[in-house]
Amino acid sequence: MRIEAIRESAGLTKPFLEQFLNYVLNLLQGNFGNSLSSGRKVWSMISAAAPVSFQLGLCAIILTALIAIPLGLIAGLNQNSKLDYTILGSALFLWAIPPYVAGPLLMVGFLLVLPGINMPYGWGGIFDAKIILPLIVLSFQPIALIVRQTRAAVIEVLSEDFVRTARAKGVPETLVALKHILRPVLTPVVTQLGLIMITIVNGAIFVELVFGLPGLGRLTVQALTNSDYPVILAITLIGSFLVMFSNLIVDVLYPLLDPRAADSMKGR
Amino acid sequence: MTSVPLSAPLPEDPPVSLWRDAWQRLVRNKLAVVGLAMVLILAFAAAFGPMLTPYDFLSQDLDARNLAPSLTHLFGTDDLGRDVFSRVLYGSRTAFLVAVVVTAIAVLIGTTLGAIAGFFGGFADRLIMWFTDMTMSVPNLLLVVVINASLKTPLSQWMEAQYLATLNPIFRETVWIDFILVFGSMALISWPPYARLVRAQVLSIRSRPYITAARALGLTNRIILTRYVVPNAIGPLIVSVSAGLGTAMVLESAFSFLGVGVNPPTPSWGNMISDGLRVWQHYPHLLAAPAIVLGLATVAFSFLGDGLNDALNPRGSK
Amino acid sequence: MTERLLEVKDLRIEIDTRRGPATIVDGINLHVDAGETLGIVGESGCGKSLTMLSLLRLLPNKIRVAGGSAAFQGSDLLKLSPRELRETRGGKIGFVFQDPMTSLNPVMRIGDQLSEPLIHHRGMSKADARKRAGELLRLVGIPGAEARLDAYPHELSGGMRQRVMIGIGLACEPDLLIADEPTTALDVTIQAQIVDLVKDLRKRLGMSVVWITHDLALIAGLADRICVLYAGTVVEDAPAEQLFAGPAHPYTRGLLASIPRMGGAETERLASIGGTPPEPGRRPPGCPFAPRCALAEDICRQVVPKLASMQGGSAAHRVACHVTSRALEAA
Ligand SMILES: Nc1ncnc2c1ncn2[C@@H]1O[C@H](COP(=O)(O)OP(=O)(O)O)[C@@H](O)[C@H]1O
Ligand SMILES: [Mg+2]
Repeated sequence: MRIEAIRESAGLTKPFLEQFLNYVLNLLQGNFGNSLSSGRKVWSMISAAAPVSFQLGLCAIILTALIAIPLGLIAGLNQNSKLDYTILGSALFLWAIPPYVAGPLLMVGFLLVLPGINMPYGWGGIFDAKIILPLIVLSFQPIALIVRQTRAAVIEVLSEDFVRTARAKGVPETLVALKHILRPVLTPVVTQLGLIMITIVNGAIFVELVFGLPGLGRLTVQALTNSDYPVILAITLIGSFLVMFSNLIVDVLYPLLDPRAADSMKGR
Repeated sequence: MTSVPLSAPLPEDPPVSLWRDAWQRLVRNKLAVVGLAMVLILAFAAAFGPMLTPYDFLSQDLDARNLAPSLTHLFGTDDLGRDVFSRVLYGSRTAFLVAVVVTAIAVLIGTTLGAIAGFFGGFADRLIMWFTDMTMSVPNLLLVVVINASLKTPLSQWMEAQYLATLNPIFRETVWIDFILVFGSMALISWPPYARLVRAQVLSIRSRPYITAARALGLTNRIILTRYVVPNAIGPLIVSVSAGLGTAMVLESAFSFLGVGVNPPTPSWGNMISDGLRVWQHYPHLLAAPAIVLGLATVAFSFLGDGLNDALNPRGSK
Repeated sequence: MTERLLEVKDLRIEIDTRRGPATIVDGINLHVDAGETLGIVGESGCGKSLTMLSLLRLLPNKIRVAGGSAAFQGSDLLKLSPRELRETRGGKIGFVFQDPMTSLNPVMRIGDQLSEPLIHHRGMSKADARKRAGELLRLVGIPGAEARLDAYPHELSGGMRQRVMIGIGLACEPDLLIADEPTTALDVTIQAQIVDLVKDLRKRLGMSVVWITHDLALIAGLADRICVLYAGTVVEDAPAEQLFAGPAHPYTRGLLASIPRMGGAETERLASIGGTPPEPGRRPPGCPFAPRCALAEDICRQVVPKLASMQGGSAAHRVACHVTSRALEAA
């Protein structure tokens, strides 16, 4: 039978453990196997799609940091004010709207303003204006996450004695905020990088689908529709690797941000 | 003989007034009250909604396709002439069912593993925590997809075999496969926060001097667990569960959106959104109705979760 | 006649509670003369810190000044513009806080923390400020001063950290240094070193000092004058020798009687006085000390005693007590 032949050639008739070992051995040689649906090498499919996703993700992280940290700082410094409630409420709202809801809705809005001329659909490179909308949608949830983290950290630092010392020294309020509050706040916030990566990898699946971007996310969805396991597995491995890599970066950065950690590491 | 006074400072369970205080803090928080009200309405809709609607969520009316919202069809009808309002209501049942079952399984797995790690320490602790960290550091959507994809074929084969062996039609219901796969794979990624929480509680309570003293006198793990760990962990656990329910709802709709969750014709907000996405230029209500309801549901849980956090951990956590 | 540097009048501080505002500091009057060292003494929680923090508007959230004035060099500290306030903080009034572990920024080098007041008040360049910071470290007796500029607070011992705090307080050679229990968190031997350091610096820089403590013994050789606080009011105010020689308020007598407990924990109950001070918002109608006082009479429970010079005693020795001021009068 044909199916049997395919199973045979794909090695699926061998015992599970042997299949697994073969897969791992191949992986170690940089061989992700072949796609079940197209027969192409998984690796070449991924290397075609990855640059799109990586550029998108990197820009989303930068956008998140630039927007969320200042907003969180402002909210925390004005705790329980109208401004704080507005920022916090918007963050809760953004956090609750999944990208597959935000994307289409924003696209509708976009169409209403600029009918049909420049649909933000498809990939024209990272410097193409079409990328703005997907980038914003992809950043919504990470922004919400970091705004809340930053705000909570600011409120905690505000009650620290050393902030009072800074004020008692006559340091101007803006510099108190930047040097004595923001600086210590960055330490716990940066440790959230891994969490942000997870949010972005998840979000990219939907954003790329909705906006027709040829990245790893859309590849995932196509692979899902075709039950293309080798591709799904390869993308999952890459995603996990990315998250672990970000956590590694955090571990390397942490002593630079917190001298106490640097010392305890030297001591080890 | 030296005796450790057993009547010595063994603190009681959190006193009733603590809960009353927490409740008062909660109801003073306007956002939390709004969230709580919305969650209750949704829960009511999930429980009784499908009985109250004039249309069946499956009944098609090919003469009334893609109707705009009106008084007869509050949210309009879809491309098969099905009443969207009824389908959204039924979708809330799907969402709640998945959220509650998944969270229940996850809490069960998480607290068990967390308690084991905390009580036994050593190798068991390291192994469980390694597992927890691993699970948390994999993008959860992808992990569910992998679990789901790798379980689907064996499970349907097994069901088919069972049907052939028993001819029991229950094994023909593919809906069950969907639910088992969705429940299973989602629960398998949702337990780590609960494990961490319970482990931390166990460790902090075990290290208290009065417990050490009492252990010397034969206080069993079971008593420590029921008298000390559970009452102390219940507050943070409630907060986590509230957040977990919201997350599980979003996950369910995400998978249904991607076509690996609950499959048509069972209505799920996720697959309704994905259907709506294909025609939103012409019939925006088909996208808007489920999208807005899903948005409201997640906002409600996140308001409630935040309020609970403030009410139950007044000193500010995280 | 010496010059008044600071004169606090009828200072009232309130805290917002769920049941409305509660008074924490209830009409405090005190003053500091130029070159003088004032000791402020009282049990933990009696409002010593809040009184001093309120002068520079450093009160925590929900706690605010409800009335009174604080004249300092011709203007009211409580009414300064934000700019004047900033110039006063760290420039004219230096502050040394209780806990050197938490009062220094853990992620900033101590050289930078010492430089800040110099940069903001003296307009020094970074390099000049750093040089001056090195000198300050030497002034407060930190060995290898310049080499420590790049250290982080956690790399120093508690005593060294408190010396850094004092260096920060002194950086701009303020007219007034407020030290809020600067030795409470330190070992007994280090405590004595810090007291000696301040004694020495005070003379060299010619500044006034307000030294807050709950420990009368500690400031015996340091303060020129001592204010005793109880539950947010001044109960006795006298030159140090007079206070030690003839304490007039029953509370002060209790404090003195419990002296040989140097280095004891702040929360330690006073040996010779039973009971605890009233909570904010629950103060009795008359003298706040009446419920704990062995000498209390009916009038004490009804009328709040005013701080007044004792008849027949020195004009500088003032006490707020119905009973003992009268007893002295009769004697
Ligand atoms: N941050 C705060 N929040 C609430 N109450 C406070 C706070 N700080 C001080 N208090 C209250 O004010 C009173 C006086 O405090 P404080 O001036 O710090 O006393 P101390 O004499 O020990 O320095 C205390 O009894 C305390 O109850
Ligand atoms: Mg104090």
